[in-house]
Amino acid sequence: MTRALIFLFVGLLAGVTAGAALAQVVVVAGARSPVESLSREQAEQLYLGRLRHLADGTAVTLVDLPPGPTRDLFYQALTGRNPAQTRAYWSRMVFTGRALPPKEARGIEEAISWIDANPSFVGYLPESEADERVRVLLRLP
Amino acid sequence: MTATSPPRLVGLALKALAALSLAAPAPMVASAEPSAFDFSGFATLGAVKTDRKDVWFTRYGVNFPGKSDPDLTPDSVLGLQGSLRLPWQNDLTVQVLTREDGSDRIQPRVTLAFLRQTLAPGLSLRAGRLRAPFFMLSESLHVNYAHPWVRPPVEVYSLNPFNDLDGVDLIYHRRVGELDVEIHPYFGRSRIPFPEGRARLNRTWGLNLVFAHGDWSLHLGHGDGRFSLIRGDAQTQALIGGLAGTPFNAALADISGTEGKTRFDSIGLQWDDGRWQVIGEYARRTTNRYVTSSEGWYLSLGRRFGAVTPYAVLARQRLDQHLSTVPVPGEFWQLFLRSRNNAQRSATIGLRWDLARNAALKTELTRARPDHDSWGSYFPRSDPRVQIGGRAIHTWSVSVDVTF
Repeated sequence: MTRALIFLFVGLLAGVTAGAALAQVVVVAGARSPVESLSREQAEQLYLGRLRHLADGTAVTLVDLPPGPTRDLFYQALTGRNPAQTRAYWSRMVFTGRALPPKEARGIEEAISWIDANPSFVGYLPESEADERVRVLLRLP
Repeated sequence: MTATSPPRLVGLALKALAALSLAAPAPMVASAEPSAFDFSGFATLGAVKTDRKDVWFTRYGVNFPGKSDPDLTPDSVLGLQGSLRLPWQNDLTVQVLTREDGSDRIQPRVTLAFLRQTLAPGLSLRAGRLRAPFFMLSESLHVNYAHPWVRPPVEVYSLNPFNDLDGVDLIYHRRVGELDVEIHPYFGRSRIPFPEGRARLNRTWGLNLVFAHGDWSLHLGHGDGRFSLIRGDAQTQALIGGLAGTPFNAALADISGTEGKTRFDSIGLQWDDGRWQVIGEYARRTTNRYVTSSEGWYLSLGRRFGAVTPYAVLARQRLDQHLSTVPVPGEFWQLFLRSRNNAQRSATIGLRWDLARNAALKTELTRARPDHDSWGSYFPRSDPRVQIGGRAIHTWSVSVDVTF
């Protein structure tokens, strides 16, 4: 009985871990955007507010998803910062006038519609939500 | 900009904020365009209490010594900020900060008002009212949410009471291999109002460098300016009257005037791997008159356990030179020098609890011992001759920080 419970527990744990590992986040631009690709380093620089432009001079507007697991996973995977670190970092960047924060969409649908309509927008989505309106630039983690 | 009176400037800033928000209509549901306007803010409600009935805890140059116990004025603050994204690779930002200032008034003050122009990828120019960036955390001094502590250590941050920089700066960021390099030169001037006097920095320039690599960040800063300090208070006037015509009247030129020079140097290191957080900084203020030449440092260690972060801080401010070296005899002169010296050592333990997204509750207990010839970060409640130096003083602080 005990052994069966342990097996069940280990199995559940493995299932949960596999589930988390499958939840990939993709960095996207609009399907009609001139932004063809983005290195991981560029994406990190953009989402840390250190860069606002790509090397060709394109000014990028960033999109954030509302606070939640996808956003937390994205920042952790891209910048190595946990949610508390990320919030403290961005509050310093914004309130010292260093950088403008990403525009926060109210949900995935709004994020996609912004990115679809604006060629200079870059955002991130759970991979399963990326449809024909967006171009995947980078896969995380 | 400094010629305009503060209330009028704030009125203008608030109008500018409103105009910025109107210029960018609020998005409708599922709009294809986000608003070009960003509105955000930060606030702290904090209370401070000491275990001594004859002194107030005070942040020199930041707030006025208290009137109520516990004292809500050292840390409580409200900041509102608006930014408008313009289509020509530029944007406008205005910030209005409300807190008690060094003149015992609580009134809104414009703390940011600048136009940023991107000149090239990684290079931007800002012009207008910026933050004076002399030390590692100077720019975010009042953004308590961004720091682990209730407030940045006073042993370092009382060395520079100037907040604003009316002028220009350049921020250049470049990635070199695995290293992020930021080069930040600035030029401008600043002023602080206080009762019956004023302090100014003119022709101030400086250069900050930041090197970041993985969990590490190194800050190097140097600033240099012309410094004037006009003291019109009764105590200083009595002192000036008493010195005039004596063999010690050379000290008059060290007390008040427009002939000062000052330098700020700092080096700071931060390490944060998501669990452990280490922050340390050394800073030095060098002046030729009006205020002390002093140096300070702190070392902070924190450890995150989920939403709770206990921390400990050691800090020290040391006097390098009194504001005057003229050997004026008498107790009154000694008292004057002592009241202008903030040298002390302290040890702090505290706890930060991130109780919600965008809100943190903090509490900390500091044991401080001002040097014998110093008032440290304390101020007499009634009798200015009370001995503050050499005593151990415990200060307890509680605060709630939010950002929105």
